[in-house]
Formats: sequence, structure tokens, C-alpha cells
Amino acid sequence: MKSEVFNGSRFWTYFKYDLAQMWRNHVKAAILIGFSGLILYILGIAFNAIFNSVWQAPGFGARITIFLLACFALELYQTRTYGYLTNRRKGSSWLMIPASAFEKWLSMMLLTLVVIPVAFLGTYTIIDGILALADPTYGQVLIKAAGEFIENTNNALVVANEEYSTTWNLGFMAMPVFAGYICNFLYFLLCGISFKRNKILWAFIILFIASTVLSLVLTSLGLQGNYEVEDLAEAEVIIRKVINWSTASAFALAACLAGGIFYRIKTLKH
Amino acid sequence: MIQVKDLSFSYGSKGVLKNISMELKGGNIYGLLGENGVGKTTLLTLLCGLKKPQTGSIETDGRNPFDRQPSLLAEQFYLPDEVAPIRAKAIDFGAERGKLWPLFDMNKYLTLLGEFEVDTTQRMDTMSAGQLKKTWIAFALACNARHYFMDEPTNGLDIPSKSQFRKAIMKYTCDDSAIIISTHQVRDLEEIIDPIIILDKEDVLLNASLQTISEKLFFDYGSQLHPEALYLENTPSGAIQVYPNTTGEESKVNLEALFNAVHSHKDVVKALFA
Repeated sequence: MKSEVFNGSRFWTYFKYDLAQMWRNHVKAAILIGFSGLILYILGIAFNAIFNSVWQAPGFGARITIFLLACFALELYQTRTYGYLTNRRKGSSWLMIPASAFEKWLSMMLLTLVVIPVAFLGTYTIIDGILALADPTYGQVLIKAAGEFIENTNNALVVANEEYSTTWNLGFMAMPVFAGYICNFLYFLLCGISFKRNKILWAFIILFIASTVLSLVLTSLGLQGNYEVEDLAEAEVIIRKVINWSTASAFALAACLAGGIFYRIKTLKH
Repeated sequence: MIQVKDLSFSYGSKGVLKNISMELKGGNIYGLLGENGVGKTTLLTLLCGLKKPQTGSIETDGRNPFDRQPSLLAEQFYLPDEVAPIRAKAIDFGAERGKLWPLFDMNKYLTLLGEFEVDTTQRMDTMSAGQLKKTWIAFALACNARHYFMDEPTNGLDIPSKSQFRKAIMKYTCDDSAIIISTHQVRDLEEIIDPIIILDKEDVLLNASLQTISEKLFFDYGSQLHPEALYLENTPSGAIQVYPNTTGEESKVNLEALFNAVHSHKDVVKALFA
């Protein structure tokens, strides 16, 4: 007798179905967002050719800005991926699919947190790599350029301060960003399956209210304030603590949001 | 078997169903009738587990539908009044989604689409409302479910399709299937639905088989007027009168006349069928 909570073959059948739907409706959009780097490149080349009469690719600042904006667009897009669940026709049809709430949730997590970001990052990285190989004015690939940017900042700090240790690296710096990114994905997904209309607007209203309340609570608890440091080494220790706490709290929040999504699926009615 | 016990449901302060109890047995095609807003769709969505009863309980073969256990979902199908326009060709829709129902029969799906004259290569989100409905009906019947909950299935169907729908229901559902069809289009379905459930505001006015109805009520198509008639309707070919059957003589049940008779004499009919 098959388990009513999780069955491998049933999950696999459902996941393939969900993936096919996701591919048809949303993965293509994620890939399209991944082309934003190419669009910037074309615009930058055209701008420089027309106004400066030189062949020059956009600089690191513009590239990292567009990349972050593309990431943000992808986060907002999560309100749409499963947003149809609040639609009476499509949502009721989805609820009646013979798979458990856990299987549907797991498939949703895999597609939202793995398949869609991989489709976007894969497209972005491939295009970035091709442009870096094809055009000498483009510079290094984005991830390498970001690593070098941090290293150069470290070196500049070391030159200015002898006591400063140079242990910052991209991986450590990226951890809270990565955790926050997961949080954002799950948050917008939860808003997408919770609100029938104006999903993005509601997401920002709740975000505003929550951050205001959190800020007031932290202030009243005396956990928020100005830290006075004597040197950069002491600052580094504080920054490390902040990064570690940010990472841990973001992962904890992500777990809560994932739980909230499961609860929403389990109790969704039409 | 589906057992409903003391089921109540309301939308805010507006009560829809109140202490409803009934048993729905396999091998029957139940016709769920009622005026607009009496809770036909609400009852169907409660029966299939899309809503949770506020009080009372529903058990389908001993399971609570709102738990949405995969084993129960695989044995039932809910066809809403307005079906979803899926962004896929009808043939791909069947091939992909059908895998989720263990007893889905692709050949049956294609046969039904053929009988309904649906273009299998057309994308569902570009179909007309009628074509889309027929695609969903074909898919539903190909799932070989044991419990069907259909909300106004003939809405949007053209005249030949309504006839095909009736034939398909009779031909392609299992003998032990419990099919509950909510409809306003009683003429479309009166040849196939039996028993009849008539819902009123927060109440069930009637839940009886056609045999029982014909034993209790007489449907007179003659021209002689009966003052004791619960309902009288003049038609071009004469009149239809409904009155209590005191002679035990059988008559053909006219669902529209039955519905109107029940609604105009609720207490009399309830006492008659109690």
C-alpha cells in the first residue's frame, strides 16, 4: 500500500508533470531574464559606438547592477510561477491532482529554488562567458570580476591599515546574499499563492510593515544602535558576527517561509 | 459510498448548507437540482475536498475528502462549471496529466475526443468554451474514476454535444461509479439522472429515486384539470399537472414540473417523502 504522504514513483510522476508545466509557462521566462546581460552588452556597445566612436563593452559597475536587477526581477517573478493556485479554475484543478500536499510542496521547492534559478544563472553565465571570450573589451566573467573587486578592496585596506587581516573572500561575503535570495524567492512565492490580486503590491506592503515592526522591536530591545570601534580589526570582528547572524537568521526565516508555503498548500480551499 | 452527516457550511454570516445528511451510493447518477445560490456548487466542492465542512462530516469510502489523500484523489474527479484553459495541446494534456491518474486510459481519451469532434492538436487555451469543456469531459471520463462531481457539465455544449455527453456518461463510466451532476439544464440530463436531489436554502427538499418519485407523485399530461394539483403548467400540447399519487399508477417523471412542484409546496412534498 502506497504512503499517503510520500511515494517515490508518484512524486516522480508528479514532478515530471509539474516540470513540464513550469517549462511551458515559466522556465522560458527565467531564461529570457538571463539574456539581460546580453541586452546590456548590445546597448553598451551601441551607445559607445554612436556617441564615443569606440568599441567598448559596458563596465563592471553596469554589469553587476544589471545582474542584481535581473536577480530582483526573478524574485518578483515568483509571485507568478504558482500564482494560479489562487485562481478558482486552475487552483481547484491543481488541488485535485492525485499527489500529496508534501509531494506538491517538494516539487514546488525544487522548481522554485533549483530549476528556475539554474535556468536563469545558467543562461546568464553562458552568455557572460561567451562575451568574455569573444570581446577583449568585455573583461572577465562576472563572478571572477566580483572576486577580484573584493580582493582589491582587501588589498587597499591592508595598505592603509597594517593591523587589518585579509581574510574576506567572495564565498563568505556571498553567504548572507545567497540565504537572503532564498528567503526572497520563498517570500514572493508565498505571497503569490496567498493573494488573489495585486500580489506584488501586497508583498511590498507586508514587507514594509514587517520591517517597520522588526526595527521598532530591535530598537526597544536595545539590539540596534551605533557600534563604536577603535580600529578596522575590531570592525572586522563585528562585521563577521553580523554576516554570520544574517546568514543564520535568513536560513531560519527561509525554513519558516517554506513551512508557511506547505501550510498554505495543505489548507488551500476553493 | 459517500456519507454526509449533519453537514453545515456558510460564507461568513450567510448560511448555505445546514445539517445536511445523505448517502450517495455507487452505481447511481445523482441529479443535484436547486435554484441559484442554494449551495449546489458548495456541496460539490465539499464532497470532493476543495472545501472543509464547518460542522458535520463527509466520508468517501471511509476517508475524509478534505485530507486530499492521493489514493482518494486518484479515485475521484471534479469537473467545475468553468474549466481551466491549459496552455497545451489537447493530446499533450492527456498524455502528461493522464499519468497522474493510475487508471487513466489514453485510448479512451482519444476516442472520446473523436466522438466530441475536438481537434487534438489544438491548444486548449485557444479553444472555444464548448470545445474546452468537451476536452475536460473526455479527460475526466478517461480517468476511470469511481466518484465524479460535475458542476453544470452541459453548460456551453452545443445540441449534438449534449447528446454525446449523455451517451458518454452511460458508456464510459464504471458500473459502481457514483456520479453527482449539478445542473439547471434538467432537460439535457433527465434521461440519465436518477436519483434526484433538490436543494433549497440550507436544506434538502428531496432525495429520492425516480421510482420512488413516481410512486409518490403522479405526473398527468392530460387535459382534465385536477384541483388538488401541486403544480400546473399549460403547454402547447396540453398541460402537465403534478399531484400526490393516490392510485399507485406509474407516470413519467418530468423533472422541471417536479422541481416547480417541490418548490411551490415544500412542506407537502417533504411530508410525502419523509
